[in-house]
Amino acid sequence: MAIELKVSEVKMGEAYVGKWGMVIDQDMCTGCQACVAACAMENNISFVGETDSGYGRSMHWIRIERFWEGSYPEVKMTPNQPMLCQQCGAATCEPVCPAFATVHSQAEQLNLQVYNRCVGTRYCANNCPYQVRSFNWRDYKRPEPLSNQLNPDVTVRRRGVMEKCTFCIQRIHKAQDKAKSEGREVVDGEFTTACAQACPASAITFGRVDNPDSLVSQLARVHGHGVKHLEELGTLPNVTYFKGG
Amino acid sequence: MIKRFFDWLKKPLGLIAVGITFLALFSLAAYGISLSQQPPAQPVQFPHKIHIAFGIQCLYCHPGAAKGPAAGIPAEAKCWGCHNQIVKTQTSILLKPLKDSVISGTPLQWVPVAQVPDFVQFNHRAHIAAGQNCENCHGDMSKMTVAENPQIFNMGFCLKCHTKVAGENHDLLVKLTDCGTCHY
Repeated sequence: MAIELKVSEVKMGEAYVGKWGMVIDQDMCTGCQACVAACAMENNISFVGETDSGYGRSMHWIRIERFWEGSYPEVKMTPNQPMLCQQCGAATCEPVCPAFATVHSQAEQLNLQVYNRCVGTRYCANNCPYQVRSFNWRDYKRPEPLSNQLNPDVTVRRRGVMEKCTFCIQRIHKAQDKAKSEGREVVDGEFTTACAQACPASAITFGRVDNPDSLVSQLARVHGHGVKHLEELGTLPNVTYFKGG
Repeated sequence: MIKRFFDWLKKPLGLIAVGITFLALFSLAAYGISLSQQPPAQPVQFPHKIHIAFGIQCLYCHPGAAKGPAAGIPAEAKCWGCHNQIVKTQTSILLKPLKDSVISGTPLQWVPVAQVPDFVQFNHRAHIAAGQNCENCHGDMSKMTVAENPQIFNMGFCLKCHTKVAGENHDLLVKLTDCGTCHY
């Protein structure tokens, strides 16, 4: 089968609509980190511990970013900013991988990480403008009772492999499989990602962005001033942020 | 010292020694490869062919294949449902592990034979729903006693069938050859 390069298909500034997308309302986010915990539980993310965290090797697929405005006496905190893989339409991580381990899913329009192909060059993480990829620097231990909570639907990654947010692709497949077995299409809101499910303030909403009737599309229309981070780089991100609404 | 050793190797005794070493290494490698080709030892020498000869469907004992990702290995209760009515169960030495397991309540430790690596997510349901029969991948069980693999489940084996099934349907081909369909 010949490999078809489709670089010319996506042009900067052209209206791009992905498949799966997310809207994050920063005004609702309380910074409670429930999404961070839920993501780690769902996706078998290792706990790196204090020492490695100190070296900047902490592993999270989603993190809460905090920023401050102003100088010392009048310091003001800006709204919390949950940062996860933006599932870019034209991702900067993809073309740099020498092993084709980070590839674009044509079927689901997601950025995939194929763990068994990854050789650990970490080039993708260096090229990601959002800094959302994490690398397995070691085989981190899971003491006995913890191994029982591993999600069987997700690969347990080994040392030397890059990993990233998948938009809970295992849940996407599960919902698609269930819908297909019942002979119907996947309904909007039928399933959601672990972070969106755990969010107590409903700041995160997940769904189909190519469907104008889905909740994500409606929220984007209602707010009307969504921001896509670092859009000027031409990455065509699929996560929209709302702030100051 | 080394020169003397090489000189000795060229003598008849040395040549024989070299020959024996090569033979030993070769047979060890052959033994190792043959070990990896044998089906693993099971607690009961389960004869698939006898059960199929009685007309029992695959899905009777492995119903998970039609419903979800894993086909499943039946619990002893399912075996016992038929076997407690069979006189031979009480007397046969081969079936003693099953009888003991039911009496003591400790499950039989079956060894899975058809396996894919951890980084592959396989779903039986989708394959059965697409009209694939069990024997397409697992071989003709009516000729096997203990389950064994007719082929290695590698990516080439999967993709060969996936591309064939998709045929001219481009959307289906994209879905079936997408990395994210199996690896996540």
